Amino acid sequence: MTLRTNKLRKAFGGVVALDGVDVEFRPGKVNALIGPNGSGKTTFFNCVTGMIKPDTGQILYGGKDLTGRAPHVVARAGVGRTFQLCRVFPRMTAVENVLAAVRPGGLLHGLRGAHRRTETERAHRWLTRLGIEHLADAEARTLSWGQQKLLELAGVLMAEPRTILLDEAAGGVNPALLDRIGALVRELNAEGRTFVIVEHNMDLVMSISDHIVVFDRGRPIAAGPPALIRADERVLGAYLGV
Amino acid sequence: MPNASDTLRTSDRWLPLGGAGLLVVAILVFPSLAPNPYILSTGVIVLNWAVLATSWNFVGGFTGYLSLGHGALAGLGGYATGLLVAKADLPSFVALVVAALLVAALAIPIGFAALRVRGASFVIVSIALVLILLLVFQSWSSLTGGSRGLVVPRPFPGMLRPEHHRVFFFLFGGLLLLALLTWWLLDRSRFGMGLKAIREDEDKAESLGTPTFAYKLTVFVVSAAFTALAGGLYALWFGDLDPVFQFSVLTGSYIVLMALLGGVRNLFGPLLGALIVGIALEYFKVQFGNSPLHLVTTGLLLGLVVMVMPDGVIPSLVSVVRRLRGREQSSIRELSAADLAERRRRERAEARS
Amino acid sequence: MLLLQSIILGLLLGGLYALLAAGLTLYFGIMRVVMIAHSAFLVLAAYLAWWTNSRLGVDPLLSMVVTVPLFFAAGVLLQRGLLSRLRPATLTMMSVLITFAIALVIEGLLGYAFSGTQRRIQLGYGTASFDLFGARVAVVKLIAFGLAAVSLAALYVLMRHTQFGWALRATIQHRDAARLVGIDTERTAGFGFGLGLATAAVGGTALALDTTIYPSLHWHWIGPLMAIIVVGGLGSVPGAAAAALLLGLAQSLLQIPMGATWAQTVFYVALFATLAVRPQGFFGGRLAQRF
Repeated sequence: MTLRTNKLRKAFGGVVALDGVDVEFRPGKVNALIGPNGSGKTTFFNCVTGMIKPDTGQILYGGKDLTGRAPHVVARAGVGRTFQLCRVFPRMTAVENVLAAVRPGGLLHGLRGAHRRTETERAHRWLTRLGIEHLADAEARTLSWGQQKLLELAGVLMAEPRTILLDEAAGGVNPALLDRIGALVRELNAEGRTFVIVEHNMDLVMSISDHIVVFDRGRPIAAGPPALIRADERVLGAYLGV
Repeated sequence: MPNASDTLRTSDRWLPLGGAGLLVVAILVFPSLAPNPYILSTGVIVLNWAVLATSWNFVGGFTGYLSLGHGALAGLGGYATGLLVAKADLPSFVALVVAALLVAALAIPIGFAALRVRGASFVIVSIALVLILLLVFQSWSSLTGGSRGLVVPRPFPGMLRPEHHRVFFFLFGGLLLLALLTWWLLDRSRFGMGLKAIREDEDKAESLGTPTFAYKLTVFVVSAAFTALAGGLYALWFGDLDPVFQFSVLTGSYIVLMALLGGVRNLFGPLLGALIVGIALEYFKVQFGNSPLHLVTTGLLLGLVVMVMPDGVIPSLVSVVRRLRGREQSSIRELSAADLAERRRRERAEARS
Repeated sequence: MLLLQSIILGLLLGGLYALLAAGLTLYFGIMRVVMIAHSAFLVLAAYLAWWTNSRLGVDPLLSMVVTVPLFFAAGVLLQRGLLSRLRPATLTMMSVLITFAIALVIEGLLGYAFSGTQRRIQLGYGTASFDLFGARVAVVKLIAFGLAAVSLAALYVLMRHTQFGWALRATIQHRDAARLVGIDTERTAGFGFGLGLATAAVGGTALALDTTIYPSLHWHWIGPLMAIIVVGGLGSVPGAAAAALLLGLAQSLLQIPMGATWAQTVFYVALFATLAVRPQGFFGGRLAQRF
């Protein structure tokens, strides 16, 4: 399932956040989206996941047109996403946070109990895999920042997306957790999930990505494997403002 | 740790059942215990408030959208029932059900408009709804009798007053139990979980795949239906409708006050709030004989609840009891992961034995 | 001729509405608070104006000498003492409930003190009218408009050209940024609220000149005022003024074919239309909030 956009444009008043973005992410790989602050990365994510409507352009996922669709439609199409400022359901417990990602298949399905055994077990397995099973019954708002990040990821994974957008997963986490997140991404990718990660931590990006897209001022200026990008002068120029 | 888990532990299964049992007994027994018809009619009024508050709590408790306009829905239910009986000659209880269905249908476009916005705008819309309906029902005298009011023919014409109160007490009691059951089922269901996710973080819920708008609209329609049933039943019982009382932001805020006071996240919270506030209101009416001072007391009570215990009585009591028991800790951070793992192992062992 | 009369009356009415709504949108901009009690304070000010006139025999406008500073102080107290203590997570709804509670208390006290009898100020110049471009305009309406115009102009000068005004606008636009540049946002918010209630004092007095007042009058006003601030864009005073003029004009013009009561529905229609089409309001520009 390939995620690509066609001439995606979004302006906020006088500020052009996305300036005709044509980009295609490699399915089954770990893609990274990098660029200086204000280059439009989060706006791009918000458009793709339906939180903002683009002005013009197309968003295609596996051939399906997702442009302007509501966020839950995008999620159901198989695209999951985490947020830059980690969002969890504060007054629900960790396990409830993960269970919330189970989507009812229809009206009758939705009326059934929220805590069927199979799903609860599956939720606990995700919590275990992310290393926070011991916090299953703790209210999410009492968790530390790093634990919340892992919880957010567990919830997204529970919904079984084929493509996962991570918005600054490494933001504000200690080096040990950073390594763990990097390893997790590689593991989950090996199991067949496509990743698109927005990241500022260059070490992480270079070490885990297969394909990097560089944004500057609302459009992609370079794309390719890490070795290529590392040597690209335009990329350097974008970051240093040259 | 404050265990907010919805997992059906033993307490979660027995508490609602026990509470419901107690309620059924209370409803069956009260009319015989009531010393005079006035007390019995007060009981009817309090039960009416309880149904209204519980119905409101479908929206307020689950989605976190606090509507000050549910008085409008009750008023619509009352007038629809009244008009169907008075003008269309439908039998009373058929009219009641038809009216509720009509209001539920009307709730769809209303919800469409109102639920597109959140926070302050939603509150403003809900208030505006009441005010505009008040305007319409007052002005359209040819249909509704305007400010003169609408007289609703009684369903049991020959019945004496005490018996009348008694019958309606049971009817309201039955409606209350139905509303509570529906709330409880919703609370445990996946639909309910989706609603609660909306309450916690609507955008996040949507990004996880919950069709938030459809969910909000559905629960709003269910809430409207129950509210309309309560309003219609009241119309049949009271027999006289006046736009000023039927479409009243005051009514809407009493409902919110009751739900907040009792606790919006609990099954019996709104009922408890209705008991406390409903009885207080009747008491104030007797004491101050409809003088404007009862507005002052209501305002003060509302202000107090908001400032002092916005989580409601039940949750505050629960946390007091927990603290007295000394069992719980205030924050998970105070326990290390190892301690927690140990505790969970112990709890699981206990549960198994 | 009737048309011209309606237009002029509509504009005068709109001006008054602008003043009445200015405070309401200000509270929202400062603190995201929907201050239901604003119209109750309007009625309170109106009662105080009537009382000074009927008991003390002076011109009701003089009551503003006392009510304006009094209401200013009340606004500061309200913000510092009550509203700032609410939890930020549920601020909007809790503020609705608590300001609603205040409105109830005011209505109850007014009813208790002055009974439910409808009151009206008897002025010497109460029935005098003016000839404006051939239309007959009541002098009291012109005075009310004049009060509104002067107050709004003063508000404008205050907001644009004084240090306090800049601090207030900064606090409205971006609270954290304002704090970072050293503005005491708590104090500013308090004064901002005081300002809002001060406009209520003036507005209520203007209202008293030409309206019959009774304790539950505030219900009559809160709907249209809320509609005005939503149409104008929550938080924007110029937006509210523009919306007020527009809706006042519309109401006045619609009174001819539809009658006074049905003409009132124009506010609610405008409210629902705005929320359906452009929830952030039409006239507020970038200042208006989308909620």
